[in-house]
Amino acid sequence: MKKSLLAAACVLAVTAAPAVAKPLSIGVSMALFDDNFLTTVRQAMATHAQSIQGLQVQFQDAQGDVGKQLSEVQNFISQKVDAIIVNPVDTATTKRMTSAATAAHIPIVYVNRRPDETSLPASVAVVASDDKLAGRLQMTVLAKKMGGRGNLVIMLGDLANNSTQGRTAGVKEVLAKYPGIKIVEEQTANWERTKAIDLMNNWITKGDKITGIASNNDEMALGAIIALHSNGVDPKSLAIGGVDATADGLDALRKGDLTVTVFQNAKGQGAEAVDDAVKLANGQAVKQYDTIPYELVTPQNYKSFLNR
Amino acid sequence: MSMVADTSVPVSARRPRKLPVEASILAVLVGIALIFELLGWTLRGQSFLGNPSRLLIIILQVSIVGLLAVGVTQVIITTGIDLSSGSVLALSAMVAASLAQESDYARAVYPGLGDLPILIPVAAGLLVGALAGLCNGTLVTLGRLPPFIATLGMMVTARGLARYYTHGQPISMLTDKFTAIGGGANPVLIFLVVAAIFHVALRYTRYGKYTYAIGGNMQAARVSGINVTRHLMLVYTIAGGLSGLAGIIMAARATSGQAGMGMSYELDAIAAAVIGGTSLSGGIGRITGTVIGTLILGVMTSGFTFLGVDAYIQDIVKGLIIIAAVMADQFRRKRRSI
Repeated sequence: MKKSLLAAACVLAVTAAPAVAKPLSIGVSMALFDDNFLTTVRQAMATHAQSIQGLQVQFQDAQGDVGKQLSEVQNFISQKVDAIIVNPVDTATTKRMTSAATAAHIPIVYVNRRPDETSLPASVAVVASDDKLAGRLQMTVLAKKMGGRGNLVIMLGDLANNSTQGRTAGVKEVLAKYPGIKIVEEQTANWERTKAIDLMNNWITKGDKITGIASNNDEMALGAIIALHSNGVDPKSLAIGGVDATADGLDALRKGDLTVTVFQNAKGQGAEAVDDAVKLANGQAVKQYDTIPYELVTPQNYKSFLNR
Repeated sequence: MSMVADTSVPVSARRPRKLPVEASILAVLVGIALIFELLGWTLRGQSFLGNPSRLLIIILQVSIVGLLAVGVTQVIITTGIDLSSGSVLALSAMVAASLAQESDYARAVYPGLGDLPILIPVAAGLLVGALAGLCNGTLVTLGRLPPFIATLGMMVTARGLARYYTHGQPISMLTDKFTAIGGGANPVLIFLVVAAIFHVALRYTRYGKYTYAIGGNMQAARVSGINVTRHLMLVYTIAGGLSGLAGIIMAARATSGQAGMGMSYELDAIAAAVIGGTSLSGGIGRITGTVIGTLILGVMTSGFTFLGVDAYIQDIVKGLIIIAAVMADQFRRKRRSI
């Protein structure tokens, strides 16, 4: 067993090694530089790329604009890069980028957000996580803390992202098993902390007796916590869940303000995307759908996530 | 000095005393609030306005945009525009936050900095804002760039700098002393005090007279001995400083400095000024109007959340109100010139 593992490791090392052989260039188009989680993914790509000799990576910011992203990809193609990594703005509009890159025989790797396209050509790979699972993990812990009953509010991310839809769907799947928990509010704060402060303030003023907050990401959960504090409510008395396990999120978990978060492996996604791009550029096969697992983070195990 | 200002403001630009324009904007504000009150009782079974903490929240959530609006109102009065306020806000939020991190936080931007007195991050944030404003002013006056272009350039550059500062990483773990600036009703207090100061400055001081004189007729102002270049630089620097102040408050409120902060706030600020009766052709506008314009935006945000209406509807209505406000402004001026 040990031997075969060793052999596998050797094979991996050998297959990874040829990447060093010739200089490669990779173009990366990110959906939005200002998103805190995507920033971690982007930096993971940059750091990992530095560790691969002769690899040049160029980052572009699509600023949440589908059209801008498409022209960035077209620019990369005319630049004749060896591979393209795309963090899609909209998962429903990846088809044109896929076909443009495929026609130019340039491999393309989608990272963090899974394209809606059903059949992808062999030169395309996807590195992402299953958003529904994040919602399910989060809500399971929240429902337990709420004792299976009470009033829940859901803070939604950008309504155009399928992470918002996926995570919310996961939350609702769990809720189906808890008829005692009522969704009293469900609105978007656009992934942003300051918008979430205002949204939560308005909800509190309305007088709903909120006992649980399921937020699509950590930033918004933190905004809700700030609003609770400023209204003299102790966040510890509520069940509050986020997703991402950002540094700030983990700190809130340490203080006990945040009940639970779900770790999405930004570094794993970034590094894997770069590896896949390099392999595809070198004509090697990769696993087409690479799912980086979500992991539940609670006050008991948060420490192990601090440096990940 | 007052004589100089009086002759340089065209007669048509002077407000008729008997019907201050604020009255009609105030009526709009009250009207919108009453609509929500009515809808609140019919749809939600509770009062919208009869809740003191909601009234506070209405101002709280727009006090940052309000600070930008106070700055841009003055710039617009001089026939200029400031598109950079949202980005400058982000830049100064980043700089201020980086100097206000807890000293024992290992991953601080400047590790080993120690706990600085609160004055330092605040001063740094204000300075960054004022410098950006001074840059705008210099480009507009000495560089002879149209204000739209100069501040558009600053908008893009400042956003880039804010991102470059930590390569997009948010700056968190800020000291309690710093975050207290944005706690409770402090943003409201700061906004109202700043608005009051500039209301007085515009109405009763030489600073205000020069500002209106330049906006009414820049050439006449120059001929009558006003140092237009210096005054415009001052107005842009003040607007930048207010963006800096807004950035400090926003970072303190969110307990984090982030490069994406204040995205498109400049447009909300301009909208608040325009809804409040500030004319984009210059020479006309008051802080009181801008404050009411800001409150209209706040009432709409709170009202739509209160009713549980989709956030996008809010943007549609906001857009329509801006158009209505500018049309009303055109209409008023046409009637006056007849």
